[in-house]
Amino acid sequence: MNEAAAKWSSLLEKVALHSDRNAFQQLFVHFSPLIKAFANKQAGASRGENFSEEIVQETMIKVWQKAASFNIEKANASTWIFTIARNTRIDLLRKNARHFQNKATSDQYEDAFDVDDIWVENENEDVFNQLAKQRNSEMLHESMKALPEEQSLILRKVYLEDKSHSEIAEELELPLGTVKSRVRLALNKLSLSVDR
Amino acid sequence: MTKYHPDTRFLTDYSAGSLPESQALCVAAHLHYCPACRTKVSELTQVGSEIFLSQEREEVSEDCFDRIMAKLSDLPATDTQSESSTSASLAATGQVIEPEPAKDKYVNDLPRAIQKLTGGSIEKMRWRKIGKSFRYSDINMGDDKRETSLLHIKAGGNVPKHQHGGDEITVILKGSFSDQEDHYHVGDYIVRTSGEMHTPVASQDEDCLCLATLDAPIVMNNWFYRLLAPLF
Ligand SMILES: [Zn+2]
Repeated sequence: MNEAAAKWSSLLEKVALHSDRNAFQQLFVHFSPLIKAFANKQAGASRGENFSEEIVQETMIKVWQKAASFNIEKANASTWIFTIARNTRIDLLRKNARHFQNKATSDQYEDAFDVDDIWVENENEDVFNQLAKQRNSEMLHESMKALPEEQSLILRKVYLEDKSHSEIAEELELPLGTVKSRVRLALNKLSLSVDR
Repeated sequence: MTKYHPDTRFLTDYSAGSLPESQALCVAAHLHYCPACRTKVSELTQVGSEIFLSQEREEVSEDCFDRIMAKLSDLPATDTQSESSTSASLAATGQVIEPEPAKDKYVNDLPRAIQKLTGGSIEKMRWRKIGKSFRYSDINMGDDKRETSLLHIKAGGNVPKHQHGGDEITVILKGSFSDQEDHYHVGDYIVRTSGEMHTPVASQDEDCLCLATLDAPIVMNNWFYRLLAPLF
């Protein structure tokens, strides 16, 4: 495991085992500006400061609460925190949307399930060979930097701006097929097994 | 054996969190049965996390950390303690803990979200019957552009002939069915585009349970209208 990854994992472990406030603060200092940037990219700045600060707070609260379920053997701390931020963003957007709907129809209803039931958290725990996985993750880091701009631009839109393939096609005035194939090319370059 | 999988577009948008919730539910259902796609999603999520880490950092407000700590100290016990003590402390704060409803065997191996939806038994759900062997139960996803339902076809029975007003995703949760083109099994993720006609028939030996989501103009959304449409 590379140094940075090992550091975040051991801090998470301290939070889990000893409710270590200092360890938590170190995680906060590193990750919260990234979470804030992530929250702000979604749907432009129109949602404003409150929305992104709320995502930062909610995400870090979940990091504290769920630290015990972080599996140091199987998961990568950064990826784990990214998925929590992602799910928190989905959850808040969903609550906002429901709020508007309920206002319009004055029709309250309970959601049948939580965001975590659909975007299941332990999805990262299936990779059997941990050594190979670690090697992959370093290779991934290197090959991400080598991607042509037109491909990495689309990946950034997909992952940061919360845009579906069709929305990106519309925005960049490209056919959907072109967007799909650039994503596929990028993923192939990253030598992921996704190749269909 | 699962033969039909979501394509890269679905898996990427799912891992990025931008897929509409009703479609994400279908992907999640497929992942429950498909280790190969789970591995792919896990890789895609790593790509997402790399991009997340490469962002330019944006400073948070000065009191952000203190606010978080204040919120945490207001909360009852957390996951760092055992499940039971969490429930106990929730109970102490006056929150009602709903006991997990008893699950029947049929429901037990369904995807997590679907299990929740059934409330423990599919017979507890509200079904609408069309014909002798087909019934459906609508799922409220809070999405007015799509209709999402569970479909239940009795062994050997068929879904009444219908036409799609939009794209439809179907995931088989139990049993199997065939249509004019192929035979489909548990976990299969089947995409049908607008305008295709088909008449799925469940296999003789087992009832078939599917999850389906359809995006379509409002009028065509309802099963009732979808069945009538070909007549006009
Ligand atoms: Zn699959």
